[in-house]
Amino acid sequence: MKLPASFRTSKGMLGIGLVLAILLIAVIAPVLIPADWATKMDMRARLSPPTWAHPLGTDQLGRDLMYRVLLGARTSIAIASAAVLMSIVIGLPLGLISGYAGRTTDNVLMRLVDTLLAFPALLLALTISAVLGPNLQNTIIAIGIAFTPFLARIIRGEALRVAQMPYVEAARTAGNSDARLIVRHILPNIMPAVIVQSTISLAFAILAEAGLSFLGLGTQPPDASWGLMIQASRDYLDRAPWTALVPGAAVALTVLGLNMFGDALRDALDPRSKGAS
Amino acid sequence: MKRRDFLKSTSALMGGTILYATGIPAMAQAEPVSGGTLIWGHSETTQNLDMHQTGTASTGRVLQNVHDSIVTVDKDLNVIPNLAESFEISADGLVYTFKLRPGVVFHNGQKMTSADVKFSFERCKDPATGAVNFEVFNSVASIDTPDDLTVVITLGQVNAPFLSRLAENGAGVIMPTGTGDVQGTTPIGCGPFKFVRREFGNEVELARFDDYWGGPAYLDKIIAREITEPTVRLTGLRTGELHMINDIPADRIAEIEGDDKFQVVSWFPLNWDFVNFNHDFEPFKNPKVREAFDYMIDKEALLEGALWGQGAVTASPSYPTSASYNHDLKQRPQDFEKAKALLAEAGYGEGELSVVFKATTNYPYHIEAAQIMLEWFRMAGVDATIEQLTWSDWLSQCWVDKDFQITMMNFFTLWEPDFLYYSLWNTEGAFNYRKISNAKVDELTAKARVTVDPQARADIYKQVQTVVHDETLDVILWFRNGTIGAQTGVMGLDTIVHPNGSNLNFHKVWLQS
Amino acid sequence: MSYILNRILSMLLTLFLISAITFAVTNILPGDVAMMIMGTQSNPEALAGLRESLGLNDPLLVQYGRWIGGMLTGDWGTSLVFKEPIAPLLLQKMTASGLIVLFSMSIALICAVPLGVWAAVHPNRWQDTASSSAALLGVSLPDFFWGIMMILLFARGLHWLPSSGFVDPGEDLLLAFRHALLPSLALGLGLMAHLTRMTRATMTGILNQEFIRVARAKGLGERTVVWRYGLANAVGPVMTVAGLQVGYLFGSIIVIESLFNYTGMGWLTYQALLNRDIPLIQASVFVIAAVVMLANLIVDLLYVLVDPRIRLS
Repeated sequence: MKLPASFRTSKGMLGIGLVLAILLIAVIAPVLIPADWATKMDMRARLSPPTWAHPLGTDQLGRDLMYRVLLGARTSIAIASAAVLMSIVIGLPLGLISGYAGRTTDNVLMRLVDTLLAFPALLLALTISAVLGPNLQNTIIAIGIAFTPFLARIIRGEALRVAQMPYVEAARTAGNSDARLIVRHILPNIMPAVIVQSTISLAFAILAEAGLSFLGLGTQPPDASWGLMIQASRDYLDRAPWTALVPGAAVALTVLGLNMFGDALRDALDPRSKGAS
Repeated sequence: MKRRDFLKSTSALMGGTILYATGIPAMAQAEPVSGGTLIWGHSETTQNLDMHQTGTASTGRVLQNVHDSIVTVDKDLNVIPNLAESFEISADGLVYTFKLRPGVVFHNGQKMTSADVKFSFERCKDPATGAVNFEVFNSVASIDTPDDLTVVITLGQVNAPFLSRLAENGAGVIMPTGTGDVQGTTPIGCGPFKFVRREFGNEVELARFDDYWGGPAYLDKIIAREITEPTVRLTGLRTGELHMINDIPADRIAEIEGDDKFQVVSWFPLNWDFVNFNHDFEPFKNPKVREAFDYMIDKEALLEGALWGQGAVTASPSYPTSASYNHDLKQRPQDFEKAKALLAEAGYGEGELSVVFKATTNYPYHIEAAQIMLEWFRMAGVDATIEQLTWSDWLSQCWVDKDFQITMMNFFTLWEPDFLYYSLWNTEGAFNYRKISNAKVDELTAKARVTVDPQARADIYKQVQTVVHDETLDVILWFRNGTIGAQTGVMGLDTIVHPNGSNLNFHKVWLQS
Repeated sequence: MSYILNRILSMLLTLFLISAITFAVTNILPGDVAMMIMGTQSNPEALAGLRESLGLNDPLLVQYGRWIGGMLTGDWGTSLVFKEPIAPLLLQKMTASGLIVLFSMSIALICAVPLGVWAAVHPNRWQDTASSSAALLGVSLPDFFWGIMMILLFARGLHWLPSSGFVDPGEDLLLAFRHALLPSLALGLGLMAHLTRMTRATMTGILNQEFIRVARAKGLGERTVVWRYGLANAVGPVMTVAGLQVGYLFGSIIVIESLFNYTGMGWLTYQALLNRDIPLIQASVFVIAAVVMLANLIVDLLYVLVDPRIRLS
């Protein structure tokens, strides 16, 4: 199998590399590293800077940040991906139908989406989490629902734009069915936007999980997740910056990888943007 | 570690609230000057400003400067005169006669008379007021005012803790007659500072009251800025935006102490913490299981881990300065073998018991403590998980619905033994959220209420502590230190801490020009 | 004109839906009003009595009617925690938050649009990489992380700006701006990153379109092509995204305002949620949602002005 041209740029390669590496860590780390290494405390080495014993330093309870960040990868990635997947599964058909059908359907669906959209995602997630109770599955549902209207709105806007394009008009006049028009002509043309949005949403989902964890409604301590780690570091930032930088770097690298990957994917998928590179 | 050893030894020796400061230069002896506005970074948000209705330590801390109570306590928690110049208790313990201090003026210009005392106490007693301490007046049969400066209170039955309960503003505050409606938003009292304004959640402004009966304060104004984020509060002190902050983050105290630009005032105790078992949860019905959990906890290590050692472990929740403190009790040491053996005796083998620990994010160090204890529980073969709760969720789930297995909590200003032991451990106690029902404790705490002799009462409370410890009704952990960090130009800080350990009094505080 | 009328009518419908959802959600929140009023003094009997007197035992529809009636007549109730009438409290806090939302949106747009265009014009070159990396860094860490960094740098390190607090613009305009600047910057960074990416994506799409090639072929200068033709067509989508971000901002202020002790809507809502102050949660969530919806409406109407094709449909 040959990689599309857009992946053979340095950015595309880096993107693929990062995403693969992080997925690998998320899958393999829990197999290789005993789970309790992430919660083992060493009270004589609290907020220790990186040393031979603790290559990435320790947190306020003397827990090894390297093990925590490696084991936390699975939690963070799993929550974020599941939440974004959920918002796509709900948001894609909503947005497509709304943007394509227009008139009454659009009006009704968009009223609903507008209504949900008017509630800030964090507020929505917070409330849902508060209602359902704090655990992993409910965190995913809370973030997933909170992100859905946003995605639906973007998709609807794109669908609306694409539906106005001359070639869609032409295909319509040629007698194509609505379903065919949506699947063959509109969907492929809005995929770039969906992908860009998904990669960004993934990053936001990781951060949203941090916000929920901060308020006690996400991952429960002492388990490790990147969000929880950043949240726990906030009182020690000026004194022990590594407690924030280690999980921060993990998040930043993941987001960076996802975005580069998303861009390359977008260029590969969108036939019209080939000239971009 | 040194600090704690020091605290322990001195508290044992002197038996008084210990207050010490570092970095205060010799200038501290200088003559106080009047003037200036002190900006205080307050660690908590003030709530309802009505002294009767508010139950929060944060609000009481600020209102300490606006209000005065009829009697108060000295540093050894003995009840002493305040707005009442003197008081007398009849031999049968039923009639309390207060002679009021003449010439006391409220902030609204009204002169304090016995009518104001009657008004304040009746307001507190009235269920419609919603006063936190209404039950203090439950046994009151009548309040008479034979003249302007005499108040005679007659009880229907003996209530030994009555007088000392009046030493806290919550029950003992005197408000001018007819100000009930405005107290919640613009409190009026006769304290050293007048309430000027509050921008909710942002700041409270107080101004000197020149006609204060105890002589005018030095500061023109106090602005209490409410900054709950510890790092931000500390930064405000470092940048000089704040003159002082209370509750220095525990891990930073040494750093601030070591800095010549600042002074640190520490005292002991601010409050105390304990671990709670739900006595209705099947495994915890068995005292052996509770004892086993006690053996899993290394209190010293936990104090070091959760509070960076800023406190002193204790087996008794009585204030170390009080007569009822039981010095004979010793905390159980950490002993996993013993814990496992006790669990086995109770029928729980390794991995057969699993518990959920509910801790509130309102006290971040509780979350740290819970994580540390969780490791120990697991080492003893108990499977455990944490559920973090917001303050209101904790109140709703643990306090009201009593829906928890294991949790932890802390209490401020509970120095009065009846308030402490009856409320917390009597089956009928208002603070008995653990569903504890212990016949011995019930009998003892009821007996103490009608025991007038102070020594006999103290002995009864010591017995209560023995039962609480022997049957591991709860695991008492430690007293936590209070701290203030200030610029070196802030003077008179040795007078700022109220004996209850939580309130701050700015009457004698001044700013070097 | 009928389009605008239509939008306004649907706005009223949305407002109704918002009120219904707000009410429904706040009523399934665990913990209840009676408990919050009584706090640590709660006991089952007293709670039951208080619930009855507060009308909490009435059917939900009756309670909703009572609530919406109060909202319409200006009686928004009293906050349980703050013990103050809710309407004036919200008005004051909304002004405070409006300031930082406006500030951060301006900061974000001023930086993001040129950066995004710059990156789109130079795809896959260092300009693109630089602006993408800057944007990525901004978006890859939580707002409060940047917030604390800014406090450490601008307040503690350089002593340029106050580390926390809120000052009423009516009292001292300059001081109010100084207090609003750091929270706005912390909010603006994440937003800027997001808008930069969207601008770049939109511009890249447009620059590859037929009419741009035609314009280039006509021999128009690159500057004119990019800014007159390209950006003019990108304004709509970028504005839509910016409008949607008003909602994001009102979510982020929950954490940022608490961090900076900036006592606006976000701080208020957080306090209300933390304390289960149900009347205040209902009112503030409703107000936030209404403001966000209004922002989206304005964007939609502007979109029509910018893109005449929408008007036809």
